Amino acid sequence: MESKAAKNLFIWATVICTAVFIWLTIDTHLSIPKRTNTDQLTDEVVSGKRVWHKYNCNDCHTILGIGGYYSPDMTKVYSSRGENWLKVFLKNPESPDPQRRKMPNQKLSDDEIKKLIAFFKWVDAIDTNEWPPEPITVAKATGAPIKDTAQILKGKNVYNQNRCDLCHRIGGQGGVIGPDLSHVGTKRDTQWLSQLVKNPKSINPTTQMPAYPQLSEDEVQALTGFLGGLK
Amino acid sequence: MTYESQKVAIKYFVISAVFFGLQSLVGLLLILKYIWPDPLISILPFNTARAIHTNLLVVWMLFGFMGGTYYVVPEESKTELYSKKLADLQFYLLLIGGLVGVIGFLFGWTAGRPLLELPVELKWAVVIVALIFIFNVFMTMLKTKKWTAVQGLLLGGLAMLAAMWLFAIPFFKNLTFDYYYWWWVIHLWVEGAWELIAASLMAFILLKITGVERQVVEKWLYIEVGLVLASGIIGTGHHYYWIGTPGYWLWWGGIFSALETVPIVLMVFDTLRHVKHRKIEIPDRLVLYWTIGCALFHFFGAAVMGMVHTLPQVNRWTHGTQVTASHGHLAFFGAYAMLILTVIYYALPKLKGLTQFNQKRGFWVFWITVSMMLTIGLAFGVAGVIQSYMQRGLGIDFLTVQGFMKPWFIAVFIAGLGFFAGVILYVIDVLSLAMKKS
Repeated sequence: MESKAAKNLFIWATVICTAVFIWLTIDTHLSIPKRTNTDQLTDEVVSGKRVWHKYNCNDCHTILGIGGYYSPDMTKVYSSRGENWLKVFLKNPESPDPQRRKMPNQKLSDDEIKKLIAFFKWVDAIDTNEWPPEPITVAKATGAPIKDTAQILKGKNVYNQNRCDLCHRIGGQGGVIGPDLSHVGTKRDTQWLSQLVKNPKSINPTTQMPAYPQLSEDEVQALTGFLGGLK
Repeated sequence: MTYESQKVAIKYFVISAVFFGLQSLVGLLLILKYIWPDPLISILPFNTARAIHTNLLVVWMLFGFMGGTYYVVPEESKTELYSKKLADLQFYLLLIGGLVGVIGFLFGWTAGRPLLELPVELKWAVVIVALIFIFNVFMTMLKTKKWTAVQGLLLGGLAMLAAMWLFAIPFFKNLTFDYYYWWWVIHLWVEGAWELIAASLMAFILLKITGVERQVVEKWLYIEVGLVLASGIIGTGHHYYWIGTPGYWLWWGGIFSALETVPIVLMVFDTLRHVKHRKIEIPDRLVLYWTIGCALFHFFGAAVMGMVHTLPQVNRWTHGTQVTASHGHLAFFGAYAMLILTVIYYALPKLKGLTQFNQKRGFWVFWITVSMMLTIGLAFGVAGVIQSYMQRGLGIDFLTVQGFMKPWFIAVFIAGLGFFAGVILYVIDVLSLAMKKS
C-alpha cells in the first residue's frame, strides 16, 4: 500500500465510523426516555443524584456496574433491600462487626436520605438488558434459600435490622438465648409466626422475647415469609 | 536535541515522574483498605483515595504527553517553539490545577463522578490549559515547511483530547445519559485521542532510533491510527451493554471491540519489523527495551485482556468486578505508562546533552515495574474471576465473597510494594538525569 492510500484509509475509516457512531447515538437518544422512564425522573430523583455525587458515593460503590469496586453495586439496591432498610442503614451504616469492611457515616440529613432513596428507586427500574444476571446455581450452605426473591430478601433484612440474631441463630450463626430457627419452617406456619412476633406473650406467657409492635404489617409478612421458608 | 526550546519539556518530565510516584503510593493505601479494616476511614476514606489515585494518573500522563509533545514538535517542524513563555505558563497552571484538585478532594470538593471528580471550576481551568497548549503547538507547526504525519496526527489527537473533555463538564439529570457521555471522555480518550498521541510519539522515536525511511514509518502510522479510530469509536459500544442503552449495542460493541485488537497487533509487528530492518545501529539498548516492551505489554494488557472481557457473554458476569481493575491496570501501564517512560528515557538524556549515561538503573526500573505490574494485574484478575463466579454466578453476598478474594488482594499489595520500589527508582533516575549538568 502506498502512503497516500494509507492516508485515505485513515481519513475515510474515521469519517464513516464517526458517522455510524453518531447515527447510533441519535437512535439511542430516542429510545432512552422509554428505557429509563424519564416520566418518573422527578426533581426529587435529580436531587437524589446530586446527593449521590456530593458524597462521592460512586468511588466506592458501582452503579450500573460503573465506579469503585470496594463496595456493593447500587443498581438494584432499592428492590433487594427495600425502603425501610435503606432509611435505617443510611442513617447509621456502621457495622457492629469490627472485622467487616465499613461504610463511614456520611451524616446525611433525613431529607438527603429521602432524595437518595428516590434516586435508587428510579435507577432500579432502568432497563439494563437484564443486568446484573440471575445467578446460575444456588449455593446452599444453610437451610435458607440463597436465591432470594425481593420479598425474602426484605424479610431477611427485617431479621437483621431488628437484630433477631442476638438471640436466635440460623445455620449456626447468631445467639443462643432463643430457639434455633434454621428449620423453623418445618414446625411453624407464617400465621403462627406473625402472631408470635406481634405479641409473644399471647402464645407463651413466660417467654422472654419482646414484642415488636414497631414492625409494619408489611414487614411482619416479609419476616415470617422468610422464616417460614427455612425448612 | 537540536532546538533550545525543547528544554521546556524537562520540567514536564520531572513532575510527571513525581506524580507517578505519588499515584503508586496512594495505590498501596487503597489495596490495604481491601485487606484490613481501615484505620484512616475518617481522614482518607476509600472514595477520596481512589479519586486521588486516578486523577494523579491522568495528570502525570498529561504531563508526560505534553512534555513529549514539546520535545517532538520543534524537531518535526524544524523550528523553535512558538512561545516558550506560554509553555512555561501552561506548565504552572496545570501543576497548580492538579494540586488544588487533589487537595480539594481531601476536603470533599468533588463533582462525584468517577475519574471525573474535578469540580466544574477546575474542569474549565483544564480547558484553558489545553487551549494554551494546543495553540502553542499549532502555531509552532504553522512555521513548518512540510507537514508530517507525526505532526498532523499528534495535533489531531490533542484536539480530540480537548474536544472530548467538554463532555466531562455538564451535570446530567439522567444517569444513563451521564454514563453515555462519561464514556465519550474516558473511552474516547484512552481508545481514541490518547492512542493517536501515543502512536505519533512512538512513530517519532522509531524513526529516530531505527533510521527506517519516514515514508514507511508514516504509512504504518496512518494504517494503525486509522484502524484504531475505525474500531475504537464504535467500540465505545462495549460500555453500553448494561447502562440502560438499547440492546443492539451488544452487537455493535462486541464486534467492534474485538476489532480493536487488530491495530494493536499491527503495532507489535510494525515495531519489531522497523527494529529488524533498522538502517542504523541502535546503541541505546534501554530505549529499545522500553519500546519493544511497551508494544508487547500494550498488546497483552489492552488488546488481549480487553477483548476477553468485552465479549458481551463474558462481560455480563465480569462487569463491575475486579476483572475491570485488572484490565485497567494492565492496559494503562502497557499502553501509556510504558510509552511515557520510553519517551522520557529517550528524550531526557538528549535534552541534557548526555551521549552516554549509566543505564543500569533504567533496566532495573524496566524489569521491576513490568514484572510487578504483571503480577498486580494477574492477581486482580484472579480476584475478579472469583468474584464473578461466587457473587454473580452463585449469588453469594458481596462482603462474604470479598473474604474469599483476600489472598489475591494480599498478592496485589506485595507486588504493589515491589512496583512502588521500581517507581521510586525511576523517580530518582529522572531527577538525577534532570539535575545533571550538561
